[in-house]
Amino acid sequence: MNKSMLKAAIGLIVLAGLLVIPRFVESPYALHMMILLFLSVSQGQSWNILGGYAGQYSVGHAAYFGVGAYTTMMLMYSKQVAPWVGVWAGVAAVIVVALVIGSICFRLRGPYFVLASIAVAEIMRLSAINLTTLTNGAEGILVTEIPAFKIGGRVVTDFLTKVPFYYIGLFLALLTLAIAYWVQHSKLGYYFQAIREDQDAAHSLGIHISVYKNIGLVISAVLTSLAGSFYGIYVGFVDPPTVLGLDVSVQIMLICIIGGMGTIWGPVLGSLLLVPLSEALRSNMITEGLVKIGLVSADSKVGLFLKENLAHAHVLLYGILVVLVILFMPDGLMGFVKKLASRRKREAA
Amino acid sequence: MAVFLQSLISGVLIGGVYALIGIGLTLIFGVMRVINFAHGDIMMVGMYLTYLLFTLMGVDPFVSVLISFPLMFFFGGFLQKVFINRVLNAVAQNQILLTIGLGLIMSNTVMLIFTSDYKILTTSYSSSTIQVGGGVSISTPLLVSFLITAVITAALGWFLLKTDTGQAIRATAQDRDAAQLMGINVSRMSVIAFGLGAALAGTAGALISPTYYIFPQVGGTFTLKAFVITVLGGMGSVVGATLGGILIGITESMSAVYISSGWKDVVVFVLFLLVLLFKPSGLMGKSRT
Repeated sequence: MNKSMLKAAIGLIVLAGLLVIPRFVESPYALHMMILLFLSVSQGQSWNILGGYAGQYSVGHAAYFGVGAYTTMMLMYSKQVAPWVGVWAGVAAVIVVALVIGSICFRLRGPYFVLASIAVAEIMRLSAINLTTLTNGAEGILVTEIPAFKIGGRVVTDFLTKVPFYYIGLFLALLTLAIAYWVQHSKLGYYFQAIREDQDAAHSLGIHISVYKNIGLVISAVLTSLAGSFYGIYVGFVDPPTVLGLDVSVQIMLICIIGGMGTIWGPVLGSLLLVPLSEALRSNMITEGLVKIGLVSADSKVGLFLKENLAHAHVLLYGILVVLVILFMPDGLMGFVKKLASRRKREAA
Repeated sequence: MAVFLQSLISGVLIGGVYALIGIGLTLIFGVMRVINFAHGDIMMVGMYLTYLLFTLMGVDPFVSVLISFPLMFFFGGFLQKVFINRVLNAVAQNQILLTIGLGLIMSNTVMLIFTSDYKILTTSYSSSTIQVGGGVSISTPLLVSFLITAVITAALGWFLLKTDTGQAIRATAQDRDAAQLMGINVSRMSVIAFGLGAALAGTAGALISPTYYIFPQVGGTFTLKAFVITVLGGMGSVVGATLGGILIGITESMSAVYISSGWKDVVVFVLFLLVLLFKPSGLMGKSRT
């Protein structure tokens, strides 16, 4: 069996495993973790297409995530539009937003592009706070009931368990992976990489820079918007800081950077690291673990402090990880793994 | 007219503090070509330092500048030596990410220590005003902070123009390689520049703490404002940053009065985008490619 067949076989086995998990796993918490993982993969992968392949570091992806989430939720909340219809309205809105942003921001390069992308996302966030009649302002939008999804009168799912969300999330993650694969192996992807490596050289070879940057942005924004809509429907609540905040943009970017930019598996690796770690912190698992091993007593001052505060510390962890990654493995985990592998190969030879 | 004058005056006064933040950022950018995304968080550290000095030892916020300036200088120098120095030759994106990461570490460490509650530093003069006549009044803490800002800016100007170290810093900003060939210790200049930048940001934090809420996430808004100010004034230009700061202060207070306080930041960001589009080199900057 050669290498590519082995890879395909492993892929199929993993895929089959992922498809049957909800049959055997009933714990809603385990499914919730998987859904978060899928969401994170699709967020990171969407950013990867623009940031990793085309080299345009957007620190404003919350704009697309939030506009997708808000459009779907607003339509469901005030017009009772079903989410699977609203999602496409969100996509349409995001394409318009992306093209406006692209036409403004892509005239700028490097750090100026980063700053412009942040400014645009902040304008979106502040607008969501201030346009109270549309968005409920800082209160946010809460939707508790999702209509059942029917085809020809037959109920396909009523969204009462986590299982339908699991499959939607899985589909979204696979979709973004497939698109990243396609981007990497198509002419479009070569154009993107040429722009990333040397914009002027790419331009002199006849690549229409702003057209291709905008194509990359629209693909990336549409996928991010889908992830945003999915998040909104799954959680049932959106408000300006959770879907439009600067933190959201930074987190989307970090998944990809920690994993490895411009690689297909980078965002997956980043998600596999970040999601369990931040969940463990959020749910106080680490403190409980420390108490259990007997390192910290639960009633001592330190124990109480950890219990009280460690749950909020997952962003601190992001910060530490970024600093470590940038200083010690600037190509992300993927680059680090590759380097180790090639070193092993050299030593073996 | 009174309303106009009133908002003009308070805009100029708060603009002085903004200028201080902007000058710090522009100094760091000028010398190292690094955009410091942790700038607002450094300012936040300065605010908490002032808060600590005030609550623990009863040091007046304005007097505490004398203590926080050198402390923040060393903090900045430390950040430069340990972290920033390693990415000076990396791509701009990695520098940005590193400073974002450092900012996250600062704001979340402060949150772990002080919790995310809003703190208010109440002094005897926090809400006192001076009546100027014609219905116009000036907030005393803002006026004092503006005066301190003016003194610091003038001192910084003198330092950069007249002292040997100042000239060496400016030479490094102009051409790093040439400066090195002339025998200037450019890595030391980088440490000093980052230290100064941090000290200015920390001082700005100390100066606004009597009139502003203190909380761990306060930095983000100020980082963004600092960018707007420096881009408006021209990246790397100290005079530009001073003008930019005052301009942003006026824009904010005018739009709070004539549009609404909810939209004032939007006005600032739209102005920022317009500057980026039509005059990316800023008011005082030379165009750079």
